[in-house]
Amino acid sequence: MNKAFVVATWEYLEKVKSKAFLISLIMTPAMMLMFGVLPTFFAQQEENVTQAIGIVDQSGNIAPQFSERLEDRYRLPDDQPRYLVRWIREGKTTDDLRKEADRMVFQDEIVGYLVIGNVAHGDSVIEYRAKHTGDFRLSKRVEDVLRQILTEQRIASRGLDPKLVSDLRVPLDLNPVKLSESGKEEEGGFEKVFFSAYVFLMMLFFLIFTSGQLLVRSVIEEKSNRIVEILVSSCSPTELMAGKVLGLSALGFTQLAFWGIMGLALSLQFGFDLVDPVHALLLTVYFVLGYLFYAAVFIALGSPLTTEQEAQQVNSYLVIVLVIPLVLALPAIQNPNAGWISILTYIPLLTPTMMALRIPIQMPSGLEILATILLMLVSIYGAMWTAGRIFRIAILSTGKRPSLRELVAWVRNG
Amino acid sequence: MLKATNLRKQYSNVLAVDGVSFEVGRGQVLGLLGPNGAGKTTTIRIVLNILQADAGVVSYDGLPFSPQTRNLVGYLPEERGLYRKSRVLDTILYFAQLRGMSASVAKAEAYNWLRRFGLLEHIGKKVEELSKGNQQKVQFVASVIHDPAYVVLDEPYSGLDPVNQMLFTEVFMELKQRGKAVIFSTHQMDAAEKLSDHLCLINSGQVVLKGSVRDIKKQHGRNSVHLEFDGDGAFLKSLQGVRNAIVYEHSAELELLDGVGTGAMLSSLIGKVDLRKFEIREPSLHSIFLQTVNMGPNATR
Repeated sequence: MNKAFVVATWEYLEKVKSKAFLISLIMTPAMMLMFGVLPTFFAQQEENVTQAIGIVDQSGNIAPQFSERLEDRYRLPDDQPRYLVRWIREGKTTDDLRKEADRMVFQDEIVGYLVIGNVAHGDSVIEYRAKHTGDFRLSKRVEDVLRQILTEQRIASRGLDPKLVSDLRVPLDLNPVKLSESGKEEEGGFEKVFFSAYVFLMMLFFLIFTSGQLLVRSVIEEKSNRIVEILVSSCSPTELMAGKVLGLSALGFTQLAFWGIMGLALSLQFGFDLVDPVHALLLTVYFVLGYLFYAAVFIALGSPLTTEQEAQQVNSYLVIVLVIPLVLALPAIQNPNAGWISILTYIPLLTPTMMALRIPIQMPSGLEILATILLMLVSIYGAMWTAGRIFRIAILSTGKRPSLRELVAWVRNG
Repeated sequence: MLKATNLRKQYSNVLAVDGVSFEVGRGQVLGLLGPNGAGKTTTIRIVLNILQADAGVVSYDGLPFSPQTRNLVGYLPEERGLYRKSRVLDTILYFAQLRGMSASVAKAEAYNWLRRFGLLEHIGKKVEELSKGNQQKVQFVASVIHDPAYVVLDEPYSGLDPVNQMLFTEVFMELKQRGKAVIFSTHQMDAAEKLSDHLCLINSGQVVLKGSVRDIKKQHGRNSVHLEFDGDGAFLKSLQGVRNAIVYEHSAELELLDGVGTGAMLSSLIGKVDLRKFEIREPSLHSIFLQTVNMGPNATR
């Protein structure tokens, strides 16, 4: 197998220097950062200007309190109020007031305005009119303040003291604590669980995908320029394939190590929580298993191809399979014990990603871990064997893409 | 000595190679000839163990194929190709190591070869930055750097300009002098004639002609006339007493039917064209090739 190492070294060194590898090395964490951090960052950015909100309240019961509380409660970093409330009353009828308010909106004097209807008599629909109605935070804050005012007014109208009611209200904060069988407790907020599961899935996805594509591309190149003839006259197809898988696995580990070190540095720098070492170990195991299994899948499906276009087609099918766990991440976090999740875990194409998803959410039992690892080992053996049979013939075949029936014949007859 | 015995290879519905045998000793060049689709490439692939034969044996100095014998073979495939994005030296070292060479020895050898071909200045360049001729030289270096005992050259001249053809011929002759057994597959009869000691002509998967160049020519040399002339030579093709005629613009090669005298032929030509030369000699390999292929097992006439 000495020649397999020659092939592996070549594949590794050539790919490590390639642009595709560099891009994926840097782009993957960059993209995760973009999806994970940037939206929050931008959302927080806006909190430094004061916005004016109009209110049309003919009863006059709500506007003064509303303006006082909203201005009081939400402050900018420099202690200026976040919102200013303007009570619009220059007009006789509601229509007049609205026209005036509309004008102010269009001249950007206010971002929007509230129309208080007949709330005293049980009407609880309040209109918020604005050019942009998508500011969820504003809507929620306005709603909170209004609800509080209306509730207090109703309490007072029954002869109770609103102060008393607010004193009696029980403040409550639900603090989720994640239990594990080792008896360890861990405060596991939704975001944390979701984020760590997601990061691992993304990493697995990008690793498998970049290396799979590199693998297929190198086989196609070698077929199209006939280098493969020199290769298989120098070493056996088995050695060639083993070398490619080895070389690309080394590439995957380089990527993983790079990201790992980056993650470690970031977490030390900014004091994020570190990943549980047991989790990390198990995830690495599934990483390796998934990586090898998909390498075989990519060889089996990719080596009969002769053009880049065909390769892209096959890639797009595989993307769908690989994306499934990403899509399932949210429902899985909400209900990690669902039967369908266990079933999907035992489909070899999905096993590594499903386990990578489940481990941070809720550690599966030792039996399940053992069973899935065994399943993957058997699947890898089978997939490699099949891929090897296809590879031997496929690397010398050019022209038309073989039909499924031909592929089966190749596997059967070797 | 490289010896192939009774090679046979069947594809789904085609018998590509059917009982092919040949041998080539150290210090000899075997020209493997044949029309397109005759089975040359399949034969070569079997010899190199790229393909498994259905039947037949290839032996290398009496030894059967083994992972070790792979390192004794050098191969220049017909369709040239290298990794475009890789560097010249890296590529050569990779192929050398795949043939069992150590990197350090290979590096020294690579420098020698590249110096010989005037490529030292390109050693660190990417392959795609080189001209086509230089790429071919790099590929040739990659196929012989490990000093193989057996060298298989598939159409080594295709795409080479005359200057490089000369250079390659020189190197091929050198391989022969250094005791390599060379198999040389080509369509170019003049090249085969100049380089080969023995010929093996394959048609429809079978050997139809085999022997030393001299013997083959002697066998076919009784009745062949070479002409040079001015005028329209089209009538030569249908001339009586001619078995086979290859007619060019101002020259022709006629193979006469048995019993037709050359004198009679000469007199039948006089007056029809302006003869500048009339020579009785051995037929060219080209003529023998065409004649043999047409008479082969699946000849169309």
